Amino acid sequence: MIQHGYEMDFSKQTFGVILYGAPGVGKTTLAMSDGNNGGDTLLIDLEHGIGRTNPLHRMNCNILSAGTYEEVLKDLETPEAKAAKTIVIDTAGSLVDYLKDWVMRTRPESKTKRGEWYPLKGAAIVNQEIARFVNRIKNVMGKNVVYIFHAEEQEKDGELVWRLRCEGKFKNTVWTGIDFGCLIDMHGGKRIADFDPNDKPAKGCHGIEGKIEIPKLDETTKNDFLQKLFETARKNMQAENAAVTERINTYNKIIQSVKEMVEGVGDADSANACMAVIGEMEHALTSKKECGKILNDKCKTLGLRFDHQTRAYVPDGDAK
Amino acid sequence: MKTKITKTLLDSWAYTFDCYEGGEEDAMNDFILTLKREQTPPSEAQQAGLDFEHLVMEIAEGRFVPEWVDQGGRCEPNSGEPMGYNKYPKNYAGAKKVAEIVRGGQWQMHVSTDVVVDGREFWLHGFCDVVKAGVIYDIKFKTKSFSSLDLWGSYRNSSQHSAYLRCLPEAYEFVYLVSDGEDLYTEAYTPMTSRPIEEYIRNFMNWLKTEPDLMKIYEERWAVDG
Repeated sequence: MIQHGYEMDFSKQTFGVILYGAPGVGKTTLAMSDGNNGGDTLLIDLEHGIGRTNPLHRMNCNILSAGTYEEVLKDLETPEAKAAKTIVIDTAGSLVDYLKDWVMRTRPESKTKRGEWYPLKGAAIVNQEIARFVNRIKNVMGKNVVYIFHAEEQEKDGELVWRLRCEGKFKNTVWTGIDFGCLIDMHGGKRIADFDPNDKPAKGCHGIEGKIEIPKLDETTKNDFLQKLFETARKNMQAENAAVTERINTYNKIIQSVKEMVEGVGDADSANACMAVIGEMEHALTSKKECGKILNDKCKTLGLRFDHQTRAYVPDGDAK
Repeated sequence: MKTKITKTLLDSWAYTFDCYEGGEEDAMNDFILTLKREQTPPSEAQQAGLDFEHLVMEIAEGRFVPEWVDQGGRCEPNSGEPMGYNKYPKNYAGAKKVAEIVRGGQWQMHVSTDVVVDGREFWLHGFCDVVKAGVIYDIKFKTKSFSSLDLWGSYRNSSQHSAYLRCLPEAYEFVYLVSDGEDLYTEAYTPMTSRPIEEYIRNFMNWLKTEPDLMKIYEERWAVDG
């Protein structure tokens, strides 16, 4: 289905989220906070740590417990998994461990002759599979994906910086598909979700930025932080879309028409006429600069150069 | 007196402080070569980056054709077609991921602007790898696999996004597209999340003031003609 930019409503937009922080700060509880109904969230409990959360705060959540990666894949085919809106991977580091185990058992090339892990081959297969796995959840199954990472503070250049704890490439490649990266931290007895990327792995977008206090959960409070966050982001996306669509549409039309016009440029006169039209256009985003580049590239192929004194294209050799 | 300034010069100077332990002398020598505007052949890593960028451009602009390796003249038994396979170059997978993002954009776009820092005039300029629909893209290539790197925030202190977003104010975002030839890592900055370019220039000039010989070289070789 092809839609105009302005027709998109983003009401079913899915998101990728990274949650990380010190042990015991409430990462898993926060990860389970999307949805109104039992089963809206599916938590893949690869660390078997779900028992440490309050049952009241996982009411909207199904838990997938598996001993192997094959079991995870099989359980993702169940109606419960298909019905979930959000899938939580707890933790991303453990997913890599599960994959390593799976690769060792099923792919002989990942082992040395002595049967030990052969990182050169094995890591490549793990990377391929993890990309396939997360692509399937987010893009094929159409779910929100929440990755929980353990993190550690490391010293770098005399400063303490947070690092996601995860073996291999995934800690880097995961960022490409992420909308919100969030450090969960305690400040003055309050839990804070920190989306400010200033000095930590964090990422905010669609108006979700800075530090947001996570409401204290008790027996009467609904665990719905992510649900509200997603709703806010979707509303912001709709507003952003309304504001930007017109500019994008104008940009696309300008670029298209200038490309067609430049096709017809054959000499200095037509190049200068084209330049004048580009100058008079009402531009959007970076279209003016890009159109100038499109024309200039064409002029170079025709042996024309821009004369800075006369502000016009002239045959090469005439330019000063 | 108006002088030119580029992100290459600023980053080359900054690297003399941020380089790996033991690499200080090389970093300073590289900075001085940049300051003197001496052309040097690209290092192995720089050449790998240029080759990668070229591959991305070929793919993005639809010019890339894989090498056909024929299998010794053997033919497919049913169709009679010659048998063989397409051979893709190293780093193709990563280049394709980058190409999909930058396809349709304008390559090597020159951008410039005037900046005044502490009463001194500078002409800030450079070449953006790709500009497309309000976004500036910079393509980076890592010869080391991502597995051994911790990339988040790698470009936070680079003057590049600050410089180019300042030169092209119509752009709302600057995105680093980093690949190790296989995977892609992205890091995005907006004018709001970038340090003002004046800070980088001021720090650089304050340091140059303590090195009169180098200041002289800068003023001679980076002067704006006329």
